[in-house]
Amino acid sequence: VKCRRCKAPAVIDVRRHNAGFCRDCFLHHCREQVRKTIEDFEMFAPGDRVLVAVSGGKDSLALWDILRDLGHDVDGLYLGLGIDEYSDESGVYARAYADNTGAKLVEIDLPTDVGFDIPTGSRIARRVPCSACGLSKRHLFNQAAVDGGYDVVATGHNLDDEAAVLFGNVLRWSTEYLGRQLPVLPAGNGFARKVKPLVRLGERETAAYCVLAGLDYQVEECPMAAGNRHLGYKSALNAIEEQSPGSKHAFYFGFLEKASPLFTPEAASEQEQLQQCARCGTPTTGEVCAFCRLVERATR
Amino acid sequence: MRVHALLERLEINRESVLVIRGDTLVTGDVQLSDDDQVEIRPVVSGGCA
Repeated sequence: VKCRRCKAPAVIDVRRHNAGFCRDCFLHHCREQVRKTIEDFEMFAPGDRVLVAVSGGKDSLALWDILRDLGHDVDGLYLGLGIDEYSDESGVYARAYADNTGAKLVEIDLPTDVGFDIPTGSRIARRVPCSACGLSKRHLFNQAAVDGGYDVVATGHNLDDEAAVLFGNVLRWSTEYLGRQLPVLPAGNGFARKVKPLVRLGERETAAYCVLAGLDYQVEECPMAAGNRHLGYKSALNAIEEQSPGSKHAFYFGFLEKASPLFTPEAASEQEQLQQCARCGTPTTGEVCAFCRLVERATR
Repeated sequence: MRVHALLERLEINRESVLVIRGDTLVTGDVQLSDDDQVEIRPVVSGGCA
C-alpha cells in the first residue's frame, strides 16, 4: 500500500477512506479531520479557552496533542478515579504528556477531593461502576470548566464510541438520549459547552496517531469495563465494518443529518424543566442532582 | 505470511487492532518473515461516559 498523498510506502491503511498513509501524511490526515470537525460543527473558535478531559488513554492524549498542534488554547483535566493500579498508571501517562510538552494539567482526585473511589463508591451506592464513573466525570468536568472560566470542555469520544452509543440507544429507542447525542452541546443553564472533536476518527486511528506521534498512552483497558454492554456493541459494529467499511461513519453521520432533529424537541423540553440542585447548584431535574445523591450514598 | 492472513488465522477483526513491527505500524499487505516479532495491539476501549 502506498500513501495516498505522497506515494511513499504506507504504514497504516484506513479502509473506510480506501486509503493508506505514511507517518507524516497520517498525522496530517488526523489533524485535518479534527480541524474540519471543529469548523463544521462550530465547536469553538481560536482564542476560546478549551479544557480537555484527559484519561491517559489514546483518545484524550491524541485530542490534546492535535488541539495544541492546531494552535488552540487548551489545558488538560485529569480525574483520578481510584481504580487501583489502573488509575495510578493512567495518571502517569497524563502527567508525562504535560511534563514533556509544557502543557498545563489540572488534577482532581475523586478519593481525596470528593471522598470515594469508583470501585467502593459504586458498590455501596449499588450502581454499575461505569455508570457511577460516567456520572462523576460529567459532573466534575463541567464543574471544573465553569469554575476555571473555560469556554468549552472537549472529550475524546471517537467515531466508534459515538456509533456504539447510538447503536445502544437505537436498540432501546431511548429517545431522550437520542435527542442529546450531538457532537456539540451548547452552554447554558449552568452547563459548560461540550464538544467531541474526534468524531471523524475511529479508535484505530487515534491509537495509530499516538504510536506514530510518539505519545505513550495507557494501552491496558479499565478493569471495571470488561464485558460491559458498550464493548458488545463495538464488537458487533466492527464485525459489520469488516464486511462493509464505512458503515460506522454512515450510521453515525447519517443519524446526525437525517434523524437527530426528530429527537431534539424531547431533549429540549427536558432541559427547560431543569432547576438548580439544592446542594451544589448544578442543573438537575430533581431537587438534588444525581451526583450529590451518589456522593451521599458512596461516602456514608 | 501477510499481516491480513495472520489476523485471519488468529480470528482477530482487523478493525480492532494495530499491528506493530519494531517501532512502527505495518499495513495489512505487508509480508512478514519468520524472524519478525510483531505486537498485535488492541484499540477498543470500553468507557462509555
